[in-house]
Amino acid sequence: MRVAALTLAGIKLKSIDQYQSGLDYLLKGSGIDLVVLPAYSALLLGLETGAITNYNDFDSVMRGYLVQNEDWHNLFLNLHSSLAAEFGIYLVCGTTVEKPIGKNDGSPADCFYQTAYCFNPDGKICGRQRQTHLTHDERELGFSRGEELNTFTAGDLQVGLVVGNDARHPEVGRIFSLCGADLLLHSGALKSGLNCWPQAAGMWAQVQQNQCWAVEAQLSAIIAGKILGASPAVIGPCEITPGQSGYIARGYPESSIVTAELDEPARQSLKKNYPLLRMLSPHAYSALQGSRNR
Amino acid sequence: MSLKGWKEKLFQRYMIWSCRPSRVTKHLRSVLPHSRQPEPAGRRQIKVAALQIELKLFKNPLQYADEMHRLVREAADQGAQLIVFPEYNNLALFGMLPGIEKMEKEDLREKEAKAGKEGKGGASVQGKGDDLSLADLFRYISPAVKPLVHTIFSQFASAYGLHIMAGSYALEEKGEIVNRALLYGPSGDLIGSQDKVHLLPMEAEWNLKKAASFNVYETPLGCLAMPVCMDATYYETFRILEKSGAEIVLLPIANLEEYNYWLALRGIWPRVQESQVYGIKSALVGSVAGFTFTGRAGIFAPLEITPGQNGVLAEVEPFDREAIALAILNLEALNQLRSNHPWRDSNQQLYKRYFPEIYEGKDH
Repeated sequence: MRVAALTLAGIKLKSIDQYQSGLDYLLKGSGIDLVVLPAYSALLLGLETGAITNYNDFDSVMRGYLVQNEDWHNLFLNLHSSLAAEFGIYLVCGTTVEKPIGKNDGSPADCFYQTAYCFNPDGKICGRQRQTHLTHDERELGFSRGEELNTFTAGDLQVGLVVGNDARHPEVGRIFSLCGADLLLHSGALKSGLNCWPQAAGMWAQVQQNQCWAVEAQLSAIIAGKILGASPAVIGPCEITPGQSGYIARGYPESSIVTAELDEPARQSLKKNYPLLRMLSPHAYSALQGSRNR
Repeated sequence: MSLKGWKEKLFQRYMIWSCRPSRVTKHLRSVLPHSRQPEPAGRRQIKVAALQIELKLFKNPLQYADEMHRLVREAADQGAQLIVFPEYNNLALFGMLPGIEKMEKEDLREKEAKAGKEGKGGASVQGKGDDLSLADLFRYISPAVKPLVHTIFSQFASAYGLHIMAGSYALEEKGEIVNRALLYGPSGDLIGSQDKVHLLPMEAEWNLKKAASFNVYETPLGCLAMPVCMDATYYETFRILEKSGAEIVLLPIANLEEYNYWLALRGIWPRVQESQVYGIKSALVGSVAGFTFTGRAGIFAPLEITPGQNGVLAEVEPFDREAIALAILNLEALNQLRSNHPWRDSNQQLYKRYFPEIYEGKDH
């Protein structure tokens, strides 16, 4: 499977047409099977196209977005459904804010979630994942936590979506992997100017301890004065990557896209020879369920 | 080959005799200082040392004691209040066995090469000489090693007024072999121990006994824990220790693999970032009887409280020679970070939904 991670850098976003053209330029005829967009993609596109009201600071933008986002949410999902079908790819559209009002899915009416969606090559939603761990700022804004992690099929692989801050919580990668995930798709948005280590402590670490793949998309943009930018990457177990670095492909914050081919037989062979997950010691994990201070 | 013949039994008696506490104590009395008291440990800052030891075989247990003492003294002279020794710190005592290098050399090399090909990163030791496994040898020397180790590290700790994590030792316990880390306090008492929970495949083949729990010990330096090597491959270890109150996690390692920066990064470094504790890694390095161990001892902290924002407070340069890493830990800074953290969160509903059932009955 050929995979790609995007940053949205270099793509003009002043209109939906411009956005489509930008993705078209990067993806059409590229042979890519699966693409991951970064977090805050719906917010950024909505602001740039004028569908969402802009304010001077990030918090105000987010608060405004939470109030008015329902129509834009649907439009954004429909757009990416069309794009997935047009390109014939699996497409993770990044994140949008999901309000389950009237959806009768058991969620409280006043909840809202940072949620990522994946569309299959027919344009249908094949995966949806609410963020399960919130940052301090997200808690302040009133986001709720998702309480499930569900895998789905993309091609021959089982896939899990890792949303935003979930990258820093190893429980997420472990649950996905024990549920059979081969590939983790991460939509992230980190503030600019950090070194490479916060990312290594996130998806890179999750991949190494679960012997899975990850595609890490990071947003490169300025939203209401907040500068976001980190490196997109495709990550695999150290043993089957160049220089044993764990990175198959790695860009810069200003890179529009990184792509890589996943060598699944090599990963299966590694897992067979050195079965890390079979060497877990659950008899010693009874304390995992208890509470932990933030 | 068997270790149950009369000659072997007789030699085991000799080893026990040569390692007896009264002999070792008499020897140490002539070299140790008289209860040197370091500055009392404050909760704000403590100085710690991670040792990287180059493996050498010692025929004489008193020479082993002298070598361990040299390392303690060097760290103590630089102000360390807590010293951490590496995994399998009793391998050096295989030197007491006559002809050990010759007996095991070729076969162990072969086994090591096989382990490398199979990508068994984070490895420890392995090998069989005919029908004799390393576990048999650990079992054989255990009655001599146990009192020797206790005597020397207890006396080092009390003579220098320090906390010493003596490393881990393959010891016989009620007929079974465990890989056990030992922690001594400034009074010379054994504060606690931790048996390895996650075994390498070869350790499982040796029938090493896995521990079923993780321990945390409250000391004047802070709450200390000491999982062993492979335990740091799994986030669960550090999450449980963190939840049990651990502030400083001491990790003895003995990695049987060629050094690679990224492979070496996979253990304690990400665990420290996930669980927001201090981490001290001590390493056994060097080559003996066809085994080659690599590693870089170091002292690690959450990114937010390291000067380079890289999670490293100190790390030795060589991966194959003796070295020492020293750093100051600030527990107040750690606890402040923990209490007002930008991204840490806990989702009890999620954990209740999946843990512990998700670990059971699946073929991973």
